[in-house]
Amino acid sequence: MAQPYDVQSTGPETRIAIRGSLDINSAPGLAEEIDRIVAKRPEKVLVDLSSLDLIDSSGVAALVKLYKNVRAAGGSVTISGARDQPLAIFKLLRMDKVFNL
Amino acid sequence: MAPSIRLSVPGTLRYRPIAVRVVAEAARLVSSSANTKDPDDTLAHDVRDPFDTAVVSAFMEIFNNVAIHAYERRDGGSIDLVITPTERELIIELKDHGHPFDIEGVAPLPAELDENSLPEGGMGIHIAKTMLDEMTYEPGPPNLWRLCKRLPSHHTRGTRS
Repeated sequence: MAQPYDVQSTGPETRIAIRGSLDINSAPGLAEEIDRIVAKRPEKVLVDLSSLDLIDSSGVAALVKLYKNVRAAGGSVTISGARDQPLAIFKLLRMDKVFNL
Repeated sequence: MAPSIRLSVPGTLRYRPIAVRVVAEAARLVSSSANTKDPDDTLAHDVRDPFDTAVVSAFMEIFNNVAIHAYERRDGGSIDLVITPTERELIIELKDHGHPFDIEGVAPLPAELDENSLPEGGMGIHIAKTMLDEMTYEPGPPNLWRLCKRLPSHHTRGTRS
């Protein structure tokens, strides 16, 4: 099954575009990718959620892991584009403020 | 009595998308969101209506819970669904024959959330409970989850174009 994300690294910047459904079935693959991204110690990670249709708590956990681990390694994370159901979930969990959505 | 939709799926995550699709369509029957969509809209099957969002979000979490906790990610069990859409509400019952879940042991989310206290787990039950108007759990076996979401009183049902 194709993973619902694309990763592009350009110098110190990494862009992750997540599409479709980020859930308990797809989040473990992203979590592995996050480990690879963090190991490269990127200065800036940009996460584009504009094509993300659905997210569950496992998907949220993967994004939290990305946010925490990149920042712990000295980088910054910008999450943008959340809409509809994913945005509703971030608001319910009060993460919209932390992520500046 | 309103007619119900009955579906039994294997209690593993592989079959979760099938159950989610059925529940999403049942939610649309209540919210009438399917009737108001542009037929040329390629995203017509997105979950956008607030009612549909709440139902699907809650259901996904409870299905996850059953597959992971009741059946411990193993094959062999089933999840029996009874979905009852009415004019004003949607009721979903999920029955499983796995291990009972300690719902009282679910820790609340941190009262104050900041960059350091972002949780990496334990959010599913909180999402489901907050999204729904009612959620009950009766440990068994069989274990029975009952989820209820009502339309807001000001909701205007869509008209078929």
